[in-house]
Amino acid sequence: MTAKGVLQEPVGAPMTTASSPGSHGTVSVVVPVVERMDDLVAVYHAFARELEQRGEAFEFIFVFDGGFTPPPELVERSREVLGVHLFRFAQRFGETAALRLGIERSRGDVILTLPAYFQVRPEGLGPLLDAVANGADLAVACRSPRQDNWINRLQSRAFHKMLGGLSGQRFRDIACGVRAIRRPVAETLPLYGDMHRFIPAIALREGFEVTEVAVPQHASDVQMRLYGPGVYLRRLLDIATFFFLAKFTEKPLRFFGLVGSMFLSVGGAISLYLLIDRLAGQAIANRPLLLLGVLLIALGVQLIGLGLVGEIIVHLRSPHRRAYRVREQI
Amino acid sequence: MTGNEPPVLEGGARPDLSVVAPLYNEAENVRALVDWIVEALAEYPGTVEIILVDDGSQDGTWAQVVEAATDPQVRGLRLGRNVGQTAAMMAGFDHAKGGVVVSLDGDLQNDPRDIPALVAKLDEGYELVCGWRQRRQDGFLLRKVPSWVANRIIRRLTGVPITDNGCSLKAYRRDLLTRISLYAEQHRFIPALSASVGARITEMPVRHHARRFGKSKYGISRTVKVLADLLTLKMITTFRSRPLLGFAAASAVPLGASLVFGVLWLIALTQFGPAKARALVFPTAGLLALGTALYLFMLGLAAEVALRSEQETLNSTPTAWEVR
Repeated sequence: MTAKGVLQEPVGAPMTTASSPGSHGTVSVVVPVVERMDDLVAVYHAFARELEQRGEAFEFIFVFDGGFTPPPELVERSREVLGVHLFRFAQRFGETAALRLGIERSRGDVILTLPAYFQVRPEGLGPLLDAVANGADLAVACRSPRQDNWINRLQSRAFHKMLGGLSGQRFRDIACGVRAIRRPVAETLPLYGDMHRFIPAIALREGFEVTEVAVPQHASDVQMRLYGPGVYLRRLLDIATFFFLAKFTEKPLRFFGLVGSMFLSVGGAISLYLLIDRLAGQAIANRPLLLLGVLLIALGVQLIGLGLVGEIIVHLRSPHRRAYRVREQI
Repeated sequence: MTGNEPPVLEGGARPDLSVVAPLYNEAENVRALVDWIVEALAEYPGTVEIILVDDGSQDGTWAQVVEAATDPQVRGLRLGRNVGQTAAMMAGFDHAKGGVVVSLDGDLQNDPRDIPALVAKLDEGYELVCGWRQRRQDGFLLRKVPSWVANRIIRRLTGVPITDNGCSLKAYRRDLLTRISLYAEQHRFIPALSASVGARITEMPVRHHARRFGKSKYGISRTVKVLADLLTLKMITTFRSRPLLGFAAASAVPLGASLVFGVLWLIALTQFGPAKARALVFPTAGLLALGTALYLFMLGLAAEVALRSEQETLNSTPTAWEVR
């Protein structure tokens, strides 16, 4: 995930030395326009004003997913002002792809991701940027105090509880779209599929320093969020995927082998039981249990085989891949 | 999910010998370890670097490493989080600049005084010299017995005649380390993996001490996982370049079973007629076995495809145009 072509020029010194507020280097605001789009010009003005007041040098990068048209006013603005860039996808690629593109095309020292609607109040940007200036690799906003109704809060609680239970990571608002990320970190994060909701968790797994910063919620973000059953199912799958990837990416056979050998042993036990029955003189050929036993053995073998293919793929990639990340070197 | 690339070493002084020690919560041991290594290598004729890898310790190990690094021979690496012994060792190997690299445990159980002998042995023309712990100072039931069993299995499975695969004290030629890349928990399999890339390997007895400070980070639970790892090891050492061969061999078993079922079924059919045959032989089992054999064969083909198309497609970004 490196910047390509003309954009691949150095973007200044690393940010570790900056400590006083207002000295973050340049900030690239990346706005993925997916799913929901409010008045983008208003969003731009509100946050740009806040950044201006803080004395930041900044640029805005809007990435429009397939199906979203940039508002004419914004296009106009991008022609007038140097620091506003608009990109469009021809098809729907989703938020993660939009974020990737925004990060690749930006050149700031800090990437600030922002939803295409008012999720937090603009004055919340300050503490977020300060957190990164003070040494965090990634700071994610935590909408607080939460003004949502109890349904929203309940489902959010359930989501975070499940994630915490599986991964041991305690986040309060992991899916918040407002995050400040140091550039080298943003460039190394493995972003693909539907993983944008887990960016802080991924960063933590990769060995980066991640903090949550309380940021006031915007009034227009407070609305009832009830989704179709498909959406909830997808969230569950997301958590399962994240957990599986975090735990078994390097050793797929540990997972498939465990499940496979469970199948094998249950199937084997059933078959053994039937064999004893048969030796005792009972007919077993027409019993459904026999089918179950044989089926479980076959499934177990197949699962272990799948795990082995996984291992081969992991092994093939291993020369180019390291599990560790060096934080400091002396 | 971890996509970090291995580091590229810049130039600078290349020492003759790099000693790599992974440390996880070993704050009390760092000072003594460094002193001991320095003392043991005082007579060593070449230049030495000591690489201490702090594997995400929470007990102030890094502060100790920083203090130890006032000695110009000592370098420190601090990892972002606890990644386990294999990855920590790999971090040390990746950053080691010596022509010869020695790894040892950070808990003072290995004796640095054995290093010169290991290195001398390496000069006899080996690429890997493994330590073989004499009079192991570990618990009998929880450590020694599982380890003895595991070593026997590894030897049987891979045909590499190394007695003590679990000993961290080993000496490597730098060239070998560029040809093997360890991940997951493969540090136990270094001899077998090295043999699979054609390295000359030997072993020699080394001393072993009881832990002085801190606690052991191992338990018996790992033995179960080692079994899955062993199957993987067999697969990647024997069939790395021809996975189909391995899967075809595995599919021979269900294929044979299905043939037996088929023949039995035919015999029963011709002798007793369909109704009796169904009661005697269970044809569905034969069909499932046949299906499994086919499935395994197809998996082998899939593995071959993976082998050929090694590019990473996941990380490609869709194209976009800039609005002007």
